[in-house]
Amino acid sequence: MRAARLWIGLALLLPALSGANAAEVELRKVDLTYSPEAVKRGAETVTGVCMACHSLKYLKYRDLLKLGYTPGEVDAKRGEHDIDSPLLGAMPPDSAIQTFGKVPPDLSLMALAREGGGRYIFSMVTGFYLDPAGNVDNRVFHGIKMPDILGFSGVTDAAQRAELERTVRDAAIFLQWAADPKAQERRTLGIYVLGYLLVLTTLMYFLKRRIWGTLR
Amino acid sequence: MANRVVAWIDQRFPLTSFIKHELTDYPTPRNLSYWWNFGFLAGIVLVIQMVSGIFLAMHYKPDTTLAFDSVQHIMRDVNYGWLLRYLHSTGASAFFAVIFIHMARTLYYGSYRAPRELMWWTGQVLLLLIMATAFMGYLLPWGQMSYWGAQVITNLFRATPFIGDQIVVWMRGDFSVGDATLTRFFALHFLFPFLIFGMVVIHLVGLHTVKSSNPSGINLADKDNIPFHPYFTIKDFYGLGVFMMVFGGLVFFFPNFFIESANNIPANPLQTPPHIVPEWYFLPFYAILRAIPDLLGGVVAMALSILIFSAMPYLDRSRIPGGARYRPVYRAMFYLFVANVAVLGYVGIQPPTPTLAIVGQVSTFIYFSMFLLLPFVSRKEERWLRARGLPKAVHDLLDSEAAKAKGDRK
Repeated sequence: MRAARLWIGLALLLPALSGANAAEVELRKVDLTYSPEAVKRGAETVTGVCMACHSLKYLKYRDLLKLGYTPGEVDAKRGEHDIDSPLLGAMPPDSAIQTFGKVPPDLSLMALAREGGGRYIFSMVTGFYLDPAGNVDNRVFHGIKMPDILGFSGVTDAAQRAELERTVRDAAIFLQWAADPKAQERRTLGIYVLGYLLVLTTLMYFLKRRIWGTLR
Repeated sequence: MANRVVAWIDQRFPLTSFIKHELTDYPTPRNLSYWWNFGFLAGIVLVIQMVSGIFLAMHYKPDTTLAFDSVQHIMRDVNYGWLLRYLHSTGASAFFAVIFIHMARTLYYGSYRAPRELMWWTGQVLLLLIMATAFMGYLLPWGQMSYWGAQVITNLFRATPFIGDQIVVWMRGDFSVGDATLTRFFALHFLFPFLIFGMVVIHLVGLHTVKSSNPSGINLADKDNIPFHPYFTIKDFYGLGVFMMVFGGLVFFFPNFFIESANNIPANPLQTPPHIVPEWYFLPFYAILRAIPDLLGGVVAMALSILIFSAMPYLDRSRIPGGARYRPVYRAMFYLFVANVAVLGYVGIQPPTPTLAIVGQVSTFIYFSMFLLLPFVSRKEERWLRARGLPKAVHDLLDSEAAKAKGDRK
């Protein structure tokens, strides 16, 4: 019994241990719950704004159909591109290197590739500010090469800022979907699997008691 | 009809006698607790890893230009590819969790003692094989942590005297981790599970010779043994159900918990991640490596920290049965050891600081002290316990064993 308690303690300790090296900058708290509407609004921002420079190469134009886009809307977005071609940024890598000194990172996995995931994206994009010298900097990523594309460093009006933050939040929700598009399917299947296992294990438990009950 | 088929087979192959001997008549101590479920669970996890792994290999491409993309292809385009991959990545952690508990049980109850030394040593070989397999498998997704982890760990072999540099090149197949490394790690990652499987068979053949240990620490009389089937088949399957619920919870709801975020960035040999950490199951050993300032010393200490377990049957000189159960000092040492391993794990995951370096060194010292003090402590403890008078339960155990030994001789 004592041993069991110790092991449970250890099991609880382990996640705490691995979470101990979270990002040094405190990320903002934001509700990034999936909803079909938010994902579609976010898709508009990401394809319309972010993709001026960034690519989302693990998504295809066809994948947008899963978000509720009509074939006509997808055709308008893809232009010359094939429906199965990846979502590439508008800026060719060469000119990106000339402008920023590097190719902007692909965003397909961004929500999994940073400690904090969607919260990191939200905090970083909303984290632009003007330093005392009047230069734009980012509190999450100092000296970032990315420009303050939505103009957070210049907006002081609270309502306007809140509106912009909603836009970024939806974009982060979309990027979470883009990084793990099977998440909904996975959770739904998970509920069935765990339900099945619960019934099976309960039956096993009673069967075990019954079989062991025959022992003297 | 079925009987006739079985009879036909039995004339040519010992089917019925095998099932009788290994299952329906196989004597198993009736007092086994649920801590004895973990060997079976380890076997099941091995099967999960092999089956999911073979299907992953049908879609994965071991080529530095394709590997990362092919994992995303599995995650997005292959039917239930995400399930295969998350089963496999979570399964690696589950494997170590189950094995560590299996080892802790052996240490707690003294199951490594005679006549089960070979069980403990084949288990030790299995642990090393599983560690090698996990390490090589971690390179395959070709993310930043895959690449830099492999770079750091293969670099350790530079500490080999005289031929260090050659050994490292020989392992990598190149001067740094690259396509040659990825391809050979894939080939070996595919091969090793079959070696593990073979070793498991040897482990089980050994088990069925010496039979299971049990919490009392003595070989039980025949009346205390019950057939493995149906009693332990159902107990194992019930335990499996509980395990699968925990495992399924992780796979379906927190599958990215065990995947380091930096590993979702493709490997980039020109950019070192700010903080290279191994997977959680290597952290205590990694902390021991870092605790020794000298590279060769660190590598030797890390290797010893795993290999020293083999010496347990000789380090533990006590003859009191029941492992830690009737041995308060050994029990205290066991818990101290487990807590100390947790501290080492914590030190292993943190970026190095002067304070943590000292904590790591003290913990490393405690780690090895536990083993090296054991011969003296266990002797002294036995003398003290006998002088104090053994508890009645232990006397009864020793008496029943003596009576059984007498009966055997008759």
